[in-house]
Amino acid sequence: MSETKSTHALEVRGLVKKFGPRTVLNDISFTLKRGEILVIMGGSGCGKSTLLRHLIGVLKPNEGEIHVLGTDITKLDDDGLAKVRRRFAMMHQFGALLNSLTVGQNVALPLLESGNVSESIADLVVKLKLELVGLTGFEHLKPSEISGGMRKRVGMARALALDPELLFCDEPTSGLDPVMTAVIDQLTLDMVHKLGITAVVVTHDMTSAFRIANKMIMLFEGQIIAQGTPDEIRNNPDPRLQQFIKGEADGPIPLKLSRDDYIKRLLSVD
Amino acid sequence: MLLAYTSLTLRAFASIGRSLSGRSTLRVHATFVQMVNVGVNSLPTVGLACLFMGLVLAMQSAGQLAQLGATERVADLVSFAMLREIGPLITAVVVIGRSGSSITAELGTMKVSEEIEALEVMAIDPVRYLVVPRLLAMIIMMPCLTIIGEALGLFGGWLLGVNSLSLDPLLYITRSLQAVDLKDLYTGLFKSLVFGFLIGSIACTYGMEVRDGAEGVGRNTTQSVVSCLLAMLGMDAILTAIFFFAT
Repeated sequence: MSETKSTHALEVRGLVKKFGPRTVLNDISFTLKRGEILVIMGGSGCGKSTLLRHLIGVLKPNEGEIHVLGTDITKLDDDGLAKVRRRFAMMHQFGALLNSLTVGQNVALPLLESGNVSESIADLVVKLKLELVGLTGFEHLKPSEISGGMRKRVGMARALALDPELLFCDEPTSGLDPVMTAVIDQLTLDMVHKLGITAVVVTHDMTSAFRIANKMIMLFEGQIIAQGTPDEIRNNPDPRLQQFIKGEADGPIPLKLSRDDYIKRLLSVD
Repeated sequence: MLLAYTSLTLRAFASIGRSLSGRSTLRVHATFVQMVNVGVNSLPTVGLACLFMGLVLAMQSAGQLAQLGATERVADLVSFAMLREIGPLITAVVVIGRSGSSITAELGTMKVSEEIEALEVMAIDPVRYLVVPRLLAMIIMMPCLTIIGEALGLFGGWLLGVNSLSLDPLLYITRSLQAVDLKDLYTGLFKSLVFGFLIGSIACTYGMEVRDGAEGVGRNTTQSVVSCLLAMLGMDAILTAIFFFAT
């Protein structure tokens, strides 16, 4: 029982991940208290999705510990991992809905598979959760019949179906219109404030990030270059961070190779 | 791939074991859906293929047997070959092409679109949820399809015998029944059961092991069909040796 009393919903220590000779995540350490929203930011390819995949137990690190809801998931077998996974939920970037099921069946899936919920209760919960994400009446459509943004929202409804203690969201607002972005942000805030859940959101939507975060982490080339409250992040002088927040094309984040590097690569000269 | 195959098959049987001992539930409805996909929907193709094979067997053997003055033995040959070998074999070939490939492609596409990962993250075991219903459906439906295929194959032989070889309809049936015994039927059906297991487990393994997007789905589907065919024919040789040659 001691593990459930941990004040940290998430605690990562010295996480290192290598794909072959390439180090994708290097010495990642952070903690997240229960009832807080953590935003993980970073440019494309900085390792934020890889980090998230470690947090949900899909990837195993080369080094380090990942304590999710008080349990180190790096040392668990499949059954142990399944036990922890029943307590958290994940909203995938593109929804990851089962295409053979309807929207309603997708949302009902975790409920019915948990084995403790009857079909009539599941039906009711499906309607409630779909209403939360603004998709009332879409139960009978197949994922292929709705838009990408709607699929994402169904993914959110499915993630919330079992009222998780911890919610992971991968780019929850990318591809959504500004109104829907605000709805999803508000929903995340409501979940945290009213139901006391903890949320980890991976995003590069800065407006949304500053709207919801209690704590922010900036990843750059597999390393944490800044972490703190939104105010601390906003006032952090690191030029890479400032360039990212302001969304400037020119700055220390190298989008293009330097002239010399370009010629070297082109002519394959070492 | 062999390691993945062994691991997946063991996990599938462990999952079935847990369901039977009441520690988890078997997805009965999903299994019936797969039985319709694998079995009922394959019936027209399997039926026609076996009917044609019955006709061909009768035609091919008629010429040879006529030289020996034993045209009426067409009935013996067709029924004997159909029950022991041709029925299970043709059914398996049709099911591999039709259902084995579709299982690999379906699971592979689910893998590529992160549906299987999503199931795992929801603490739903993809082996219990996806593999077990398909494997069970394959094991249950193969003998059912085979027995219907064999009946239509025998009917094909009868059609040719009665219409083209002018054999007596009733005599043909009597000869057919006398030529074979129950062992021929049982061994054929046992073969088809083993083929069902092989096709289901191999097709699921290739599906669950898909990497590299759409290209991977195509590659694994091809490999799945090839592996199923070779495994099925190899197993056929082994079982035939055990039942009819070594004993």
